[in-house]
Amino acid sequence: MLFYSFFKTLVGKEVAVELKNDVILTGTLHSVDQYLNIKLLTVNVVNQDRYPQLTSLKNCFIRGSVVRYVQIDPKDVDTELLQDATRKENSPQVGGGALMEDKK
Amino acid sequence: MASTLSEWKSKPVTVLTCDGRLIVGTLKGYDQLQNLILCKSYEKVYSVDSPMEKVELGLFVVRGDNVAIISDGGCGKSSSGENNNGNSDEGKEEEIDDYVGRAEPIMEISGNR
Repeated sequence: MLFYSFFKTLVGKEVAVELKNDVILTGTLHSVDQYLNIKLLTVNVVNQDRYPQLTSLKNCFIRGSVVRYVQIDPKDVDTELLQDATRKENSPQVGGGALMEDKK
Repeated sequence: MASTLSEWKSKPVTVLTCDGRLIVGTLKGYDQLQNLILCKSYEKVYSVDSPMEKVELGLFVVRGDNVAIISDGGCGKSSSGENNNGNSDEGKEEEIDDYVGRAEPIMEISGNR
């Protein structure tokens, strides 16, 4: 659940999603769900010359299972907060995950 | 906030499947696993040696496992480019037209699930 919370903090930000077939889509993160399915708005395909058939994509839903990477602008990530959240999730006491939202 | 497909119900969508095919159709139904029911669907077949070909599929059910991308639209406002009612530097709006030329096929998703 931690990464679900993490991605929720990135809603509205510009991200690049690399699929397992090497296609890279950039766009504004509109929403994410528990399976890390991603919805992007105003999508652009990186390497349009290779994939001209995908230039017509505008808003898309990307199935979480086909995502290899999500590339994020470092400015959009609070690494300290993320570090704390991962520590908390791995700590023996309480499972974290809510931490990311708490501070928001 | 949850990524649902509800806003695209009964609308034309383009589906990229895990084997790299592009299927266009009207989204008649779906579920939380992205199993899809498409009606009036057709496949857009791209290859390097001939322009895009449409293969009629009719009513089509795609199992969620095989879905990679679902995108809204896809029927293209016009593939002939005859309705040049706006200026061509509208950018994104112009690109919504179907690409009908040649293209290398999209690779299949490797190492899926």
